[in-house]
Amino acid sequence: MNKTVQTILEYAQRLVDEKVVGESDMISLRSELNFMYVTKAGVKLCDLTEQDVIKMNIFKAEKDYEYHAEIYKAREDINAICQCYPKWVMPIAKAGVTIPAVLDDMAQIVGPTCKTSQDNISSIIKTLKGRNSCLIKDKGCITSGRTLDEAYTCVLVLDKASHCFVASSVIGANKIINGIEARLMRFIYKTKYSKKNQENLSVKEEEQSVSEDTSVKEESEV
Amino acid sequence: MAWDKETELKLRQVIKDSGVTLLNENLVQGTWGNTATRLDKDHMLVTPTGLDYIALTPEDMPVVQISDPSIWKDGKKPTSERKIHAAIMQARPEINATIHSHPIYCSILASARIELPVMNDDMQRLVGGSCRVGAYGLPGTKKLKNGTVEAMQGRSACFMANHGVFCAGKDMDEALEIIRVMERSCYQYIQECTLKATGQQTYSDELLFDYFVAQKTAPKGKKK
Repeated sequence: MNKTVQTILEYAQRLVDEKVVGESDMISLRSELNFMYVTKAGVKLCDLTEQDVIKMNIFKAEKDYEYHAEIYKAREDINAICQCYPKWVMPIAKAGVTIPAVLDDMAQIVGPTCKTSQDNISSIIKTLKGRNSCLIKDKGCITSGRTLDEAYTCVLVLDKASHCFVASSVIGANKIINGIEARLMRFIYKTKYSKKNQENLSVKEEEQSVSEDTSVKEESEV
Repeated sequence: MAWDKETELKLRQVIKDSGVTLLNENLVQGTWGNTATRLDKDHMLVTPTGLDYIALTPEDMPVVQISDPSIWKDGKKPTSERKIHAAIMQARPEINATIHSHPIYCSILASARIELPVMNDDMQRLVGGSCRVGAYGLPGTKKLKNGTVEAMQGRSACFMANHGVFCAGKDMDEALEIIRVMERSCYQYIQECTLKATGQQTYSDELLFDYFVAQKTAPKGKKK
């Protein structure tokens, strides 16, 4: 099996196992600058098979894959995207509010805040500026990263932070981490803690892309 | 070295098993969280930094000096939170096992910085009273360490503000029992608060969702 497809299937299963998916989740991985592998629209991640992961030119993407293609076009720093509907993110997306830094791991991995975008690509690109995640009004969330592991971890942390934000709002107290400290943690995480790990994963995913190039050329491109 | 090899081997396995137990009971996520167990007055075994609890072997656990946690030997690089484990073991000679983790319901109370009142008999027996919140400090800082030690006084658990929970027991079995009772008690508290806020009789996550959305989307001045 193509190794990029294998990586996508592996992370799709992890998202299913962690119960952070809904009905129309979609994940993708950039394989070359202008190409991505993406899970077929309308196929639930729990039912995903090898045939449901398709390679696509991001400049020729169909409407169903527009969000992923446009984000890759706008952001060369992004190599992986998870578009998911985690349970606890949903009420916040419905309310259309911003999640503040309620936990250290959110400040580090997601960022000091996570805003809600309108459900259109220009708003999503704008909301993602300088960030790697956002919520989508009445939908779910988009997380991204240098690797699929980073985007996947972001979904888990975002769902947990959302659960904390919702529940702590109801029990009567939201105590938010100071903005400067939240930004400092994010900076340290990006430049120190995650750097080596993500560099290793990037190299691994790049090697996978390179090693499969020959076989990929023979596959049909959607 | 004031401990024998047999004891060390046994405790290495105890640490390994504690990580797997936390993972299996959904009390830890991924490679986060850490545990420690005392070898003698000035030494403890801790979990290494950033490693999967399933893949971890008993030999991976480093021995850390309690009086100066920057000194360690054997095993892999210790968790960066070892200073807190060391500070609790130094301040509390009766403590032989510690757990720091971020289970979801404890994390909610930690993010709300709410002191959890005694919710049930198990909490009174195991925690020793209410569960206080330590002062907020950035990870790895003296402020976080001192805040945790202060909040733990006379208790076997405390919240770390916007971070997680810290539990300490006479042995690892007791420390695990404490984190379980903490997670149950936090859930109980959240359920009771939600029922009180909504005026409903039966708790569900959907009740929490609906109340949250209603509060956040209500016109200004109309919030309950």
